[in-house]
Amino acid sequence: MGLLDKLSGLLGLRKKEVHVLCLGLDNSGKTTIINKLKPSNAQSQDIVPTIGFSIEKFKSSSLSFTVFDMSGQGRYRNLWEHYYKEGQAIIFVIDSSDRLRMVVAKEELDTLLNHPDIKHRRIPILFFANKMDLRDAVTSVKVSQLLCLENIKDKPWHICASDAIKGEGLQEGVDWLQDQIQAAKT
Amino acid sequence: MLGRVTAPPPDATQEGGQRIPQWGFRGWLGKLRARNLRVRAYHRPGTIERCAAPGAGPVARTTSAKMAAASSSDSDSGRAESKEANSKWLDAHYDPVANIHTFSACLVLADLHGDGEHKLVVGDLGPSGQQPRLKVLKGPTVLTESPLPALPAAAATFLMEQHEPQAPALALASGPCVYVYKNLRPYFKFSLPPLPPNPLEQDLWHQAKEDRIDPLTLKEMLEGIREKAEVPLSVQSLRFLQLELSEMEAFVNQHKSKTIKRQTVITTMTTLKKNLSDEDAVSCLVLGCENKELLVLDPEAFTILAKMSLPSVPVFLEASGQFDVEFRLAAACRNGNIYILRRDSKHPKYCIELSAQPVGLVRVHKVLVVGSTEDSLHGFTHKVWLQQAPAPHSYLPSAQGPESPSGFLFPATPLSPLSPKPPQTPAVPCQGKKLWTVQMPAAILTMNLLDQRSRGLQAVMAGLANGEVRIYRDKALLNIIRAPDAVTSLCFGRYGREENTLIMTTRGGGLIIKILKRTAVFVEAGGEVGPPPAQATKLNVPRKTRLYVDQTLREREAGTAMHRAFQTDLYLLRLRTARAYVQALESSLSPMSMTAREPLKLHAVVQGLGPIFKLTLHLQNPSTARPALGLLICFLYNEALYALPQAFFKVPLLVPGLNYPLETFVESLSDKGISDIIKVLVLREGQSAPLLSAHINMPVSEGLAAA
Repeated sequence: MGLLDKLSGLLGLRKKEVHVLCLGLDNSGKTTIINKLKPSNAQSQDIVPTIGFSIEKFKSSSLSFTVFDMSGQGRYRNLWEHYYKEGQAIIFVIDSSDRLRMVVAKEELDTLLNHPDIKHRRIPILFFANKMDLRDAVTSVKVSQLLCLENIKDKPWHICASDAIKGEGLQEGVDWLQDQIQAAKT
Repeated sequence: MLGRVTAPPPDATQEGGQRIPQWGFRGWLGKLRARNLRVRAYHRPGTIERCAAPGAGPVARTTSAKMAAASSSDSDSGRAESKEANSKWLDAHYDPVANIHTFSACLVLADLHGDGEHKLVVGDLGPSGQQPRLKVLKGPTVLTESPLPALPAAAATFLMEQHEPQAPALALASGPCVYVYKNLRPYFKFSLPPLPPNPLEQDLWHQAKEDRIDPLTLKEMLEGIREKAEVPLSVQSLRFLQLELSEMEAFVNQHKSKTIKRQTVITTMTTLKKNLSDEDAVSCLVLGCENKELLVLDPEAFTILAKMSLPSVPVFLEASGQFDVEFRLAAACRNGNIYILRRDSKHPKYCIELSAQPVGLVRVHKVLVVGSTEDSLHGFTHKVWLQQAPAPHSYLPSAQGPESPSGFLFPATPLSPLSPKPPQTPAVPCQGKKLWTVQMPAAILTMNLLDQRSRGLQAVMAGLANGEVRIYRDKALLNIIRAPDAVTSLCFGRYGREENTLIMTTRGGGLIIKILKRTAVFVEAGGEVGPPPAQATKLNVPRKTRLYVDQTLREREAGTAMHRAFQTDLYLLRLRTARAYVQALESSLSPMSMTAREPLKLHAVVQGLGPIFKLTLHLQNPSTARPALGLLICFLYNEALYALPQAFFKVPLLVPGLNYPLETFVESLSDKGISDIIKVLVLREGQSAPLLSAHINMPVSEGLAAA
């Protein structure tokens, strides 16, 4: 990483644009997370189930993110794969309190990782073990066990416990993602 | 009352079939011809008797319990079998000790709170059928649990009123009551109307109240009523009759002032849309009762909107249509029949006769799928259901004629002379047409509908005693799930937020939750399921010729004489056979010596191409202990044709059990390619009659011809 790049990044003069896919089952909190990452004046008050997908933008310290917030409903999940090519990073959101559908999340993740557009790319994946505020939520360690994340060998990944309503844990995740993207670029 | 239903068209062919004498092949052929039946390879003959017992216990519960006890058999491996790697199902949850003991009628999935999170309602019988409980599950955990006063018979959810917010009410049938819950709080309790008590019984208790009768006399009188009277006793009297002498006094004192109530119990329950066919339309409850009645309840006021009577006790119900417009109810009953009821009929219009007791009833579109105790699934339809069903909007009640449809339909099952039907049944025309039958590898424990809305698939799931759950679309096997234990209840639908979830509970009280993969598509496994195609082809029965008719007539008239003539010939044949056998034994012509003192076995082999053959005689002494001594062998042959070095020689001692090969050479002298018989005689020293003899057909000498 060049000194000038760093400098310009710090000063916010020139921010690189990255495309990120936000995936996960319905009701896992994808839209809420993206909403929370936007500047406070741009946040919307009520979140409704996403239909199809929506495109959101937010900025971190050195990157400008364009997020494809995909709908997680079963009938829209086949749309995901059409955007795999464009994505430079993936945010995968998991409802930690939905113990029953953890297998479904794992199934969708496996399908994602085995897709030809993803399989041979070193694309960073950020996992949010969301809804940590709920009583029956399992820990992020347990989530990573249930999803068998240790089997992902060829891609950088990171799991963050988060509470999207309060915004806890989100920044940590985005910082990791930013580092990964910048590391991949240089 | 039953006379109102028009009598069935006299089933002449069936009657005719039975009149033909049973013993002749032609008689059987005639039967076959008359009925125009297809080959029923899948019907075992013993099952007809089973269905002959009318009203044999509560089928829904006892049969499943009986089958649960049956040992699980080995399952054959099907192509549609779900393997670990390419299974269509995700294993979401398995708890072998969830302590849920129930059957499919008591499992229901519903959005009880109206928050989009579907819960599972379980009417639990308790581990030994002793502690009935109402359980509500959210995900893998039990949300609430409350005790029930009696064993649950069925659970259902329905919308009571149209206005928002729409949270469905939960109805649980238990004993003589339906408990209705809203938002999981008790809302209403509907009790079945009491039945008129026996006046004699009433009078007795009245006397007991005034102390004019002592408990012992009361008991005797009540027992008399129980045996004779048409109206059964009330629960109070029945309990009294069970008591020991010492407890009677107290019981009488405690209960004598109460009025006698006689109540029936609910055996089954389902829901029927009131006036709209929408998904979120108000529904009525339909109850099946032990007193052979069906009741339709108003969803808001819980008044009885309609009452229908059946010839037997209903155990499974399927409803379709709308109550205010036109509806059809199919009730599988304990007498092994399925009765079809329609709007404006107090009695069944048509019935489907099964060859065995039903264990489950599922309606898939317009086909009724019935599981029977014969371990098979049957698909039934009836012309009425398909053709006479009027469009909901053009329907006029007055246009409804009571007459049965024209056109001949085959009876669902062949009527056997062995199965006496209850006297009521002939009043209901038998109209169901069997579409197909699929044989299961094990007994069916439970059945339910699999409705995959996203793909528009409706299929039948059947839980078997060998732990399999099989999914069928019509007769095509789509999938097999192997459960670790026999599955006793099944339910498919939206659970939590997942659309296609399968809930299974096992005999041991386990709970299995599986989720259908988003990408899974059910495909038919191919032609290996169901009856072989040959079964569907009609037999090419020859036309009834004049000769055939004459022969049949002659058989019928002179049957006895023909039988006698045949028997005489048979005896003569047997006599001749016996004579010839005895003669062979007496002249020792057989290669086995049958005298008790000298058992011997001879077996000869000829080797070689010629002109010199090697003749090997295998001599064996099959007795257990006695060695054979002093035997001689003699060959008898045409000396012009054959030459033997030794035509007569001694046999060594024969040790019991051992095989003695005795070899000798035979030279063929003829160069004309002639062969002859060589006789071998085994003799005993000092006796002229041979012990045994053998004729050896010598082969033609080929060596000479080649030379």
